[in-house]
Amino acid sequence: MADFIPEENRLNLKVVFYGPALSGKTTNLMQLHSQLMPERIGELMVLETRDDRTLFFDMLPIGLKGGHGLDLRLKLYTVPGQVQHDSTRKAVLSRADGILFVADSQRNQQDNNAMAFGNLEENLEKVGLDIEAVPIVIQFNKRDMPDTVAEDELQQRWAHTPWSPLQMASALNGTGVVETFRELLDRLYTVADQEFRLARDHGIERATFVERLSARGSDATP
Amino acid sequence: MRRLEDDPVLSDLLETSQIQRLEASLARLGLGQVSLSEEKRQGAIPVEFNLETVGWLSADCDADSLKATAELVAFILFFVAKYRLAADIHHDATEAGYAELQRKHKALQESEARYRTLSGQLQERVKEQVATIQKAQQELYESARTRSVGQLAAGIAHEINNPIGFIKSNLKVAGDYLDDLEAKLPDDRETRELLEDFRDLLSESLDGSSRIATIVADLKTFSSIDHADYTHCNINDLLKAALHLLKTSYADRRLTIDERLGELPEIPGNPARLSEAFYNVLDNAARAIPEDGRIVVKTATDNSGNIAVVIQDNGCGMAEDIQGQVFDPFFTSRPVGSGTGLGLTVARDTVRAHKGLIRLESREANGTRVTMLLPQAS
Repeated sequence: MADFIPEENRLNLKVVFYGPALSGKTTNLMQLHSQLMPERIGELMVLETRDDRTLFFDMLPIGLKGGHGLDLRLKLYTVPGQVQHDSTRKAVLSRADGILFVADSQRNQQDNNAMAFGNLEENLEKVGLDIEAVPIVIQFNKRDMPDTVAEDELQQRWAHTPWSPLQMASALNGTGVVETFRELLDRLYTVADQEFRLARDHGIERATFVERLSARGSDATP
Repeated sequence: MRRLEDDPVLSDLLETSQIQRLEASLARLGLGQVSLSEEKRQGAIPVEFNLETVGWLSADCDADSLKATAELVAFILFFVAKYRLAADIHHDATEAGYAELQRKHKALQESEARYRTLSGQLQERVKEQVATIQKAQQELYESARTRSVGQLAAGIAHEINNPIGFIKSNLKVAGDYLDDLEAKLPDDRETRELLEDFRDLLSESLDGSSRIATIVADLKTFSSIDHADYTHCNINDLLKAALHLLKTSYADRRLTIDERLGELPEIPGNPARLSEAFYNVLDNAARAIPEDGRIVVKTATDNSGNIAVVIQDNGCGMAEDIQGQVFDPFFTSRPVGSGTGLGLTVARDTVRAHKGLIRLESREANGTRVTMLLPQAS
């Protein structure tokens, strides 16, 4: 859950990149690290990988100072996608404020996507989070691969869920990553503003929140 | 337990001795007195990790060197923190896995205990069933034996039937011959007395033969050797035959039997088995009553043709605690050797086989009433 520390006037928010193994969660985070130039961005921490597979998690902290001095931190985490690391996945997922689900667009990976999403539903329930209440954005990554499911088909399939529209990305090429992140920031703002009165008490409007946390190197605010 | 997303402070990352060693190493690089602590001191600059100030560094050197040193310390702390986070998450995951394992283990133990109890109960049930089967087998054996004795009796009765027939008719003809002889013999006192005696002998023999014939007829009805299976039964006839047989069995006693047999329709049934049932109940009643006792046999029917047979005595009756057992096989209240303990069991089984009901009411020292209800269509 979001952590507001009044004496330090500080708000910590946690975003978790979830999804099947090898769908590109770490690549998403690396792209954000290299493309974003928000006010404050920490070191990308990649914890132990084996054969390009995350063993524990990756983390990237970013932050901004609100108009009334609020110190807002956003920590982005990835989970290990492999089935056997479920305990680690649960530990990382607990107290998440937003979830970015990275799915694999390749036709032969659709079962894995479904299984990983089922696992997300299950683990959310286990760590006491409500899938209806947590802001979730779904990204179909690897659009650059040869045999992918068409975007129309995917959009139609998910049209009647609360997570429509889907985001398309090719993390390896750096496209769609920031757009996905912005979509999540937008949904996260709605929830966080409701709980912490970001606009009223801290002078942080929706546009400020989204733009300043996802400013690219080229359009960074001075 | 620290949470994954909590920011570490300096003491989470390095122990005091490690900080001292780091400070000493930096001092030897020519930085003079170096101090790294969580407290901000005069002239100290922040050391950051994860956008967070984890410590304050001060040294006796110029600002550029101090800044470079702070970057070096932050670089070291980054890898320390990385190890710390990996260790923490590994610990958390292992703990969670272990807790899950324990939970599953407990559930498994509970389910094992449940199955153990169940298996115990099952063994009990099997034992009970085996006992029931053994009892039923014994019962079957006993009732087969009873039936075969009945069939033997019926067979003998059938064989007696013919000779007794011609004995009776011969005795009648002998009587006629005696009349003829009387006309031809001299009419003196001695001859008259002799003939009179002869006539008495013949008539007594004829009486005896008639009685034998009646017993034989009753035996035949009783065992119904002629129709072994279901047929139309006249319950009153079956009862009468059983009563005759009872009186013959208790020839040494005077039995007072009050027969109140109503008009009855015939019902389908197995006459041999019904006769046996009636006889068993009547036999119990006869044994229960004293010399001056009385047995009442009543039959009645309702609109649908269902039949009620009531056999009541004013004998010794029985205690309440044994009334529940009277239908159990081999239960007997009488001395060993005087009965098999199957009489009422057979009666109950027979009535049930006819889709009927049997009820026994008894009061100690007042008597017993057995009611048998036999439906029209069984």
